[in-house]
Amino acid sequence: MKQTLQFDQLSCRLKVEGLPDVSVGQSGAALGIITGWSLQWAGRPELEGRKEHLLALMQVVLPYARYLISGVPRRFGAEPQPVEIGPAPEGGHSLLLRSSQPDTPPLQLALDDAELADLVRVLDQLRLDSRLQLPLALPAPVPLRARELLERRPLAQRLAAPLGGVLALVLASGLGLLIPEPKPAAAPAARPDSSQPAAQGATPSP
Amino acid sequence: MPQDPTAPEPSTRLPRRGLERLDLLLLSVEALDLNGGEAMVWMSEQMGFTSLFPNRVELWKRRCTNPLRRTTRRGALEPAETDALIRILCALADRLYPLLRGLLSTAEPPEVLSQRWALFRGRLAELIRERMNPRRSGVQLLLDPAAGARQARLLVQALSLGSGVGGFERLRASLLDAQS
Repeated sequence: MKQTLQFDQLSCRLKVEGLPDVSVGQSGAALGIITGWSLQWAGRPELEGRKEHLLALMQVVLPYARYLISGVPRRFGAEPQPVEIGPAPEGGHSLLLRSSQPDTPPLQLALDDAELADLVRVLDQLRLDSRLQLPLALPAPVPLRARELLERRPLAQRLAAPLGGVLALVLASGLGLLIPEPKPAAAPAARPDSSQPAAQGATPSP
Repeated sequence: MPQDPTAPEPSTRLPRRGLERLDLLLLSVEALDLNGGEAMVWMSEQMGFTSLFPNRVELWKRRCTNPLRRTTRRGALEPAETDALIRILCALADRLYPLLRGLLSTAEPPEVLSQRWALFRGRLAELIRERMNPRRSGVQLLLDPAAGARQARLLVQALSLGSGVGGFERLRASLLDAQS
């Protein structure tokens, strides 16, 4: 009755073991209960765990791949979560696995783009395998919003246009202040007969 | 995967950026495979898309809706047509996955890797010069040595993550991204 699903890529092999869930009428090659899984990496320690760990791995790796395909490398999996993935500062990707055992330090794996693609492919193969008859709580890939896409541009590049605008405005205002104000026009000289109305004194000259 | 209420509708049209990127990804497949153009037609027939693309000319016309093309066609593609093009792209990327992996792997010797990238970038630049409008800033960016190299890497990475059985949903969602 024990079933094993195996998915191979060049750098990794995912093995999922389980049983058909007879309480819902599954039989034969179906796998409705995951009893354990292992992920073998070439030249790296083997990962294994329970269903929850596998689900946690899928819940961070697949959304990370979704963002990466749009050119947005974003970190997934905060501190309490058992798996975390994000871009590595030196290039590539950093996969961090936190053990549920006390006093066990987290395991950090550095993956290159090819290894990440291999991992994504085996996880895709598993979740879309017709023999796996188990609901997986995974979000569907959705288009990114404009704000999320802005994150792929460096901060300096994003701020360049508004800062340039403000700088130009300040410069223009400063230059404007340097221009001397026009002197007020000199008051017309007082005429001796200024007491007379202007209309009367205004005789046309020849 | 379970249906997400925020998931894109199957009838959503690709925005302008999505059309540009879809054609560039198909162009990258052609740069990776010298018979990529023929492979596209063959794959379209194999996948049962002959009603949408009865011949290579019709397939070509759909690709020419890319606004970056030298001879661009007006009008948007129907969602069924773009979905079919994305499925063809994913199937081709799956077929070319060993090549894509070879470009992305750091386990390869650096000299071999740099030769592979030079070959790919050279072919891609040749195809871009041949088919795209060089006056468009997007095309100039692709032909720029530094920015073009980054774009080429992003295209190869997108193909590798879009290949295989689960690649379609991911790639389609990325092509439907909001315009930044």
